[in-house]
Amino acid sequence: MYSSQESLNNDYPKFAVVGHPNKGKSSIVSSLALDDSVQIGDTPGTTQVKRGFPLKVDGKIIYELFDTPGFQRARRVLSWLNEQEPVSADKKGDVVRAFIAVHRDDERFIDEIELLEPIMNGAGIIYVVDASKPYGSEYETEMEILRWCGQPSMAILNLIGEEDYTEQWKSALGHYFRMVRTFNPIKATFREHIELLDSMSQLKEEWTKSIKVAIKVLEDLQDQKIEQTVDSIVSNMLKTLSYVHRQKIVGESATTDEEEKSKLSYREKIIKFEKEQEKNIESIWNHRSIEKIENMLVLDNVGLFSKESASIFGLSQQQLIITGASAGAMGGLGIDLLLGGGSLFLGSLIGGAVGGVGAMIGFDNLYEVKVLGQSIGKRELSVGPMQNLNFPYILLGRSLYHASVIAKRSHAMRGDINLEQEEFLTEQIIDSEMRKTLEKVHVSLRKGEEPKEEDLKAYKKVLKESFLGLL
Amino acid sequence: MYKKNNKISIESYLNLSELLKEYRGTHEENRLFALKHKALLQNPRQILLKWMEKNSFRKSKKTETQTLLQKFSTLSNFIGLFSLIFGFLAGLGLLSYSGHAPVNVIYYLLFAMVIPLFSMIVSIVSLFSSGAAFNVFSLFFPLHWIETVLNFFSFKDKIDTFNTLFSDELKKWMFMSRLQLFSLLFSIGLLFALLVIVVSKDVAFSWSTTLNVSDIDFFKLLASIGFPWGHTLPSAIPSVELIEMSHYYRLGENLNTQMIQNADKLGAWWKYLAMVTLFYAIFLRFLLWLATRYGFQKQLKKDFLELDGVEKLLREFNTPFVSTESPKEEKHLEIVKESDEQVAHAVAKVYETIIGWNFSKDEILLLNDAKGVSSSNIRTVGGNNSFSEDQKIAKEAKSEVILYVKSWEPPTMDFVDFLEELLANDNVTEIQVYPLGTVGRNYESDEREVAIWKRKIQGLKSKKVWVIDV
Repeated sequence: MYSSQESLNNDYPKFAVVGHPNKGKSSIVSSLALDDSVQIGDTPGTTQVKRGFPLKVDGKIIYELFDTPGFQRARRVLSWLNEQEPVSADKKGDVVRAFIAVHRDDERFIDEIELLEPIMNGAGIIYVVDASKPYGSEYETEMEILRWCGQPSMAILNLIGEEDYTEQWKSALGHYFRMVRTFNPIKATFREHIELLDSMSQLKEEWTKSIKVAIKVLEDLQDQKIEQTVDSIVSNMLKTLSYVHRQKIVGESATTDEEEKSKLSYREKIIKFEKEQEKNIESIWNHRSIEKIENMLVLDNVGLFSKESASIFGLSQQQLIITGASAGAMGGLGIDLLLGGGSLFLGSLIGGAVGGVGAMIGFDNLYEVKVLGQSIGKRELSVGPMQNLNFPYILLGRSLYHASVIAKRSHAMRGDINLEQEEFLTEQIIDSEMRKTLEKVHVSLRKGEEPKEEDLKAYKKVLKESFLGLL
Repeated sequence: MYKKNNKISIESYLNLSELLKEYRGTHEENRLFALKHKALLQNPRQILLKWMEKNSFRKSKKTETQTLLQKFSTLSNFIGLFSLIFGFLAGLGLLSYSGHAPVNVIYYLLFAMVIPLFSMIVSIVSLFSSGAAFNVFSLFFPLHWIETVLNFFSFKDKIDTFNTLFSDELKKWMFMSRLQLFSLLFSIGLLFALLVIVVSKDVAFSWSTTLNVSDIDFFKLLASIGFPWGHTLPSAIPSVELIEMSHYYRLGENLNTQMIQNADKLGAWWKYLAMVTLFYAIFLRFLLWLATRYGFQKQLKKDFLELDGVEKLLREFNTPFVSTESPKEEKHLEIVKESDEQVAHAVAKVYETIIGWNFSKDEILLLNDAKGVSSSNIRTVGGNNSFSEDQKIAKEAKSEVILYVKSWEPPTMDFVDFLEELLANDNVTEIQVYPLGTVGRNYESDEREVAIWKRKIQGLKSKKVWVIDV
């Protein structure tokens, strides 16, 4: 079984994220470790003990990050260090080790021991400050202690608030650290994450190779997550749009009650499919704590079948008519081809017009409801597949929106997401050319047919393109 | 129960499908399994079978699909046996000879060659059709009607459930393969009947048709039908003489004299009929059965990889498992509930002592000016001060003390140590801790930041110290 103590003795890069209390150390660790289980709070002392976050590939540790408690009695530590017999710079680390040894059981220095221990076991120092607050000389005590440790170090400017004292901090930190980088764990993109890792790789020559491996691993992981997300969306689209709910009925024709019940079951099933897909995407992106936050995504409040959802995620009436016309024209083109163009391509024109008019049918006309005579004395009511032209775009828009929010969401974030703050329009991310490709599959599904393999490939490609555009 | 078998079968297909519904493993477990079976990674089906073998114990003891599989197998065996018996009985009927009227070979050829050839052609055409077209073609097959009739029985729902387990394409191959097998068994029954009749009875064959067909034309037709074996087995092709002899014109109730005279020769037809059955009804059907078996197996292999959950499993086998989580449990901090205890909502104009924690003297002066507070004794603590300096200031303080702190810097234990020294000073009657915001915010502090200070001060349980929240 892996233990943190064991990892300290192994030969791979280790980094201790240290600093004053409440400067976002845990947020940075949570963001870099892609782990939203790290407790982040505005109460000093939220992190009480150091925790190692190893990046493991098939069980092999590539590097390890340590989240540590903040400095609590920095002046006393520095005072103790200064009180010792003066030593040359190369021996200062030994004095820090002596401090740890002497005070291991001293309750006053629990936090300092926790944060100094990984450093003295070879971890690089990542000193975190909040650059949205002014610099103060009291920080110099901490920086001086870290200098005593003699380990490779860098500082991270974390802008927690709205004010910006970056320049002030940079000039102060420059005296203590070889490298100063700005990194906002809440807003950081994947690229910024990788850039920070790249900076960390430069702290020590021996670490460069491992960190480069880690970067490659994380880039591959990101690609896999994107692929899996797109697969999940495509699979849900196919499942939802082709879904047919069947229910046995007693009489020759369905009663209003039977029809309403079937429609309700149909909708419930489709909503369930969407929920399952959302959960799947959240698990792909390792956002395990999301389920703990109720109503985090306002998608819950904007029902899948609501007009509000249609107006936010669906296509405009004009776009729908164009899409419907192009889909209808595809059917019409079949007639033209059969007649070898003898119809003077009237088929396409008529098909286009029919498709366009079909698109204008109200939002309430969602799906086909049929009574099927199966065998003597037994009849079935079937609801589906979805006939509404706009519905696939609503579903797609919602899926892409949800997936992009989840994919971009930093693991350091703990709050809700408000849809109203987001600007999202399906027709802006899926242009008319893309819609043509998508419509081929939608048309097949509406007819209850299985889409062709090449159409599905093109469909997936378009969705991937749209998804990447949102990241 | 899972049997160790490296071939994909309906049973292994259903077993995997069932297992995946109950268990899919984690990425870590699946990757570890794949690393232990690296040699199989190139063969997805084999590694899936191995994975299934390893995890078969996780599956419920007796699943519904297993029961259904048994029923399906029993049903297939029953229809197979029925086809064989039906073929035998049909043969007996076709070859029944009472001694009055000879057996018309044209009837027999219809059952042993024309119908099989027609059904094989329909089978082949329907194999290349799909959806509605296939459904239309399936109407030509008796098996379709047998299954339709079975739908009226109580186990219809179970058959429906069974059908949902397979893709339409696989069901098509399964149907066609079974159809060929049952037809083959029917034909074997037919041939068996022919042989039994030939051995046990003295059958006279003849041919008769309403159409005006000459003996020579009929010979040519029969010779071309017998082309596949004509060269190797010429005795199994009826001669023109035999055809002439057995030509049977609108005989009615009686046999013609010529036929009665040559009754022994008429029996020579059986070789030809046996070869027709063997080649057209059995050999060609056997080839088609093999082809549909191959098609079925190919589709089964394809569908095996398309089972729900297989894609995830294969991806996890082939993708390195990356983990970033901490193996150490988080020690959660208990947050003290906020209250109004020891909170002051006003600032006095004059204090005996003003102390700034981590503030410079100049900063304190600016602060006093902004807040309209004054004192004759202004001191700075924390920052770069030594402990002895801070201790001296704590000891010298008197009466009411206001302690400026940076609201955005949470109280550290270093601060608490100083505050405790100040509290220990009996000359100090009251300490007011005043969290202030940045100059950029006109010293306005954030509510959340003040709350942190309140909680810390309330935690000290001293009636002498207050937090200013204005």
